[in-house]
Amino acid sequence: MDLPARTSPVGQPVALYVTCLVDYLFPGVGIASVRLLEHLGLTVTFPFAQTCCGQPAYNGGYHREARPLAERFLDVFHDVPVIVCPSGSCTTMIRVEYPRLFADDPIRAEQARAIAARTWELTEFLVDGLGRADLGLRLPEQQTFAIHDSCHGLRHLGLGRQARALIEAMENARLVPLEDHDECCGFGGLFSVKMPELSAAMLEKKLAHIRACEAPTIVTGDVSCMMHMNGGLVREGAFRQVRHIAEVLADGLPEGVRHAQ
Amino acid sequence: MHNEAGQFIANARQALANPPMLAAVKRATDTADRKRDLAMFADGREHGEALRQQSATARHRALSQLPALLEQAEERLTANGATVLWAVDAAEVCRHVQEIAARHNVRRVTKSKSMISEEVGLNDALIAAGIDVLETDLGEFIIQLAAEPPSHIVTPVIHKSKETIRDLFVERLGMPPTDDAQTMARFAREHLRAAFLSSEMGISGGNFIIAETGTLCLVTNEGNGRMVTTLPPVHVALVGIEKVIATLEDYALLTQVLPRSATGQALAVYTHMINAPRRTGEDDGPEALYVILVDNGRSAIYESEYAEVLGCIRCGACMNACPIYEAVGGHAYGWVYPGPIGAVLTPLMTGLKEASPLPNASSLCGKCKEVCPIDIDLPRMLLNLRRDLVVQGHTPLPWLAGMRAWSVAARSPRVFDAAARAAHAVQPVLPKGKKLPLGPLAGWTASRELPQLAAQPFRAWWSEREKRAAQQKAEESDDQP
Amino acid sequence: MTSRDAILRRLRAVKPPYADEPPPAEYLPVVPLDASDRAALIDRFVTKAEALSSVVHRCASEEQARATVLDIISPDDRVLCWDFVHIPLPGLAEALDRAGIAIAPPDDASVRVGITGADAALAATGSLVIASGAGKPRRTSLLPLVHVAVARAEQILPHMEAWIAEMRARGDNAFTDPSSIVIVSGPSRTADIAMELILGMHGPGALHIVLIESEKQQ
Repeated sequence: MDLPARTSPVGQPVALYVTCLVDYLFPGVGIASVRLLEHLGLTVTFPFAQTCCGQPAYNGGYHREARPLAERFLDVFHDVPVIVCPSGSCTTMIRVEYPRLFADDPIRAEQARAIAARTWELTEFLVDGLGRADLGLRLPEQQTFAIHDSCHGLRHLGLGRQARALIEAMENARLVPLEDHDECCGFGGLFSVKMPELSAAMLEKKLAHIRACEAPTIVTGDVSCMMHMNGGLVREGAFRQVRHIAEVLADGLPEGVRHAQ
Repeated sequence: MHNEAGQFIANARQALANPPMLAAVKRATDTADRKRDLAMFADGREHGEALRQQSATARHRALSQLPALLEQAEERLTANGATVLWAVDAAEVCRHVQEIAARHNVRRVTKSKSMISEEVGLNDALIAAGIDVLETDLGEFIIQLAAEPPSHIVTPVIHKSKETIRDLFVERLGMPPTDDAQTMARFAREHLRAAFLSSEMGISGGNFIIAETGTLCLVTNEGNGRMVTTLPPVHVALVGIEKVIATLEDYALLTQVLPRSATGQALAVYTHMINAPRRTGEDDGPEALYVILVDNGRSAIYESEYAEVLGCIRCGACMNACPIYEAVGGHAYGWVYPGPIGAVLTPLMTGLKEASPLPNASSLCGKCKEVCPIDIDLPRMLLNLRRDLVVQGHTPLPWLAGMRAWSVAARSPRVFDAAARAAHAVQPVLPKGKKLPLGPLAGWTASRELPQLAAQPFRAWWSEREKRAAQQKAEESDDQP
Repeated sequence: MTSRDAILRRLRAVKPPYADEPPPAEYLPVVPLDASDRAALIDRFVTKAEALSSVVHRCASEEQARATVLDIISPDDRVLCWDFVHIPLPGLAEALDRAGIAIAPPDDASVRVGITGADAALAATGSLVIASGAGKPRRTSLLPLVHVAVARAEQILPHMEAWIAEMRARGDNAFTDPSSIVIVSGPSRTADIAMELILGMHGPGALHIVLIESEKQQ
């Protein structure tokens, strides 16, 4: 993987890039991320001017429409030492695609490279950046989980090992395998809207594995995959759910931290 | 071959309504993918990755020297007694073959597998010239009987059940009904044997041409490849210009990596190296060997940013791993090459506008690149083809308008926020648990619930928290003496 | 301008897609094998060949080898056969003659058994290298339902890479002299009918490897 190398983020304040889906659809993921990071003693900031990273437009081939959003990102985050993002696909957009998007603009390209060298997906930030898999977390009751590996994070960023380490280090958490855990859930962003039957067919295969899985809760690192799978699970009234890893881990925080104002 | 790539969505829908066909496809691709993984990594994951890198380098080296290697290949082939011809396009390929057939009074052709012959519509051209054409690869023979295109580049009939094939043989060939695959295969063997022995011209493809020695290389399992290149007095090979490789060492590597990636075999049953037509003193072999080097769009790809795709060795690993291919099978892709490689090649070779759905027929999961023995970045190319579609104006206006609106809204946190608030206000009105006839949402809601916009966005929570913290701090400093 | 010139000109008009790198000094063989243990190499050849459904007859003597060949041929009275000089089994011609077995002309498509030698054997995959040449018709190993290949244990090389290296060492035309070289890995097969593995599609349905593991008698 040819990603810009990163220096250790230890000791640095963290700027949170929550992503537009988390901001407006799943704020709990953002809140959980903040709680986790603050639990570790980090100072978390939230640059208010942040919006969408431009991925939906970019992945659809609309590079001209994605560009202003990417430029905005570069401007909003230009002077923070560390950026943490609870999404493998958005982190991929920033680290892998921004340098390409600005290949024709030397100044922006350099900014993109610099930001790519300071951006971390949440689980890799904790395990690889801070070197912490054990965050001192303990679930109130024994729970069993299985992990679905979201495609972008898995194949572009090499994610997967970190999420597993975090769950396994949490007391009262048990990890079991999910069959075909690295197979696409069928979301693919606007693919799910452009080719809905195809997307639904892929989802059905994923749901069959989820139904057959011992774990009642499937854990993933991307709310996009999560909302796709839950969209199907809720429709069929299933007893299973897919949750974002930030919220699952945050359930293991001490009572007071979890419900702090 | 007739191009239906533009009808991908309709064809995919049709495929989705055929569960038995899809079950057959899934069984075949799951097995092939598993076997590929076992074979490629039989000596450890590190070794397998090293082989992939070595293979990629070998193909890159060949592509970087392509014109020189083609000239070297031509020179060696000619010195060995073969006749080398060049064809710019489909029409020229057909013309060459027709001329050769006329020169040698060919009435019947036996063919082993050639994807290029599908690209250029060779069979139809020969039939139009009054020449009988018989496919001899069992899979190709079956689809020829069924008058269908192949659905996979290595195993062309994975979409057909045994019963379907049995019925085909009974109807079209008068086979006594049987459910025993061995008996069916034996029947086909007898039926095709007579053709092998009597045909005047054999047509094959070519997996590689070794430039260093002027050797045409075929990788086959059934033996029909050997038959059509040995028995008829004339052998014509159709080979894409990108198939040239530099050295014997590159060949040893790639001719072992190809079957491992394709079917999980360490070597194909017949790893065939053809150096020349029959040599003096030999008892058999064709008297004449023609090698047609085919461009048909490849040099245009070479000139473009997509040149990397010419490294493909046609193993089929990408389609075996692809969840979209598994979901709809190969015919939906509408042309010669299905799956991820097809989603890239078909637009490049037949036109982006004609094949516009294909670059979008992907969730960009990246599995294809992961399994490709040449490490071809197919997802990257699909992304770039989507960009090309937009730039060239082949995307629907509503989408372009929607994207522009999104872009404008998302540039301003306040506008974006207002839009989200508005959507949140409207959402309770939408019925749950059913399909909503709302344009793009209809497809989603046919089988999925919509996600619910949150009552309080994250940024609102954060603002409140900041306010509370500021208040608290103010109170604390008030308390200070 | 000819099509040839048009194509080459087009390819030359652009910057090549990759920088020209020299080939590696050493290629990683696809199957890493320790070539020093001859006995292990021979065992591997046998194991791999059998895994491909080839039948391997390990013969401790030439006499045993001749008897094996006759056994496979029985009860036929005609075979296809390479010129005996290319089959590393002295006395085979006489043995066939004594048993009343005629050698059919090389284009006889009705004969059940074809007998060849081998140009090399590859331990990594249990394969045989079968090259064409004067007295070594292509059809002998292709048309009949049963292919009998006679090889000696000392012909076994580790893998394809070793065979290529040997071709290079032998000299310029060693590789290109035969009009056709086939590396045969088992009997012909197909899985095109609903993925059921079937042996004996168009080529031979049975491959018998008569492996002579003794010194060659003159």
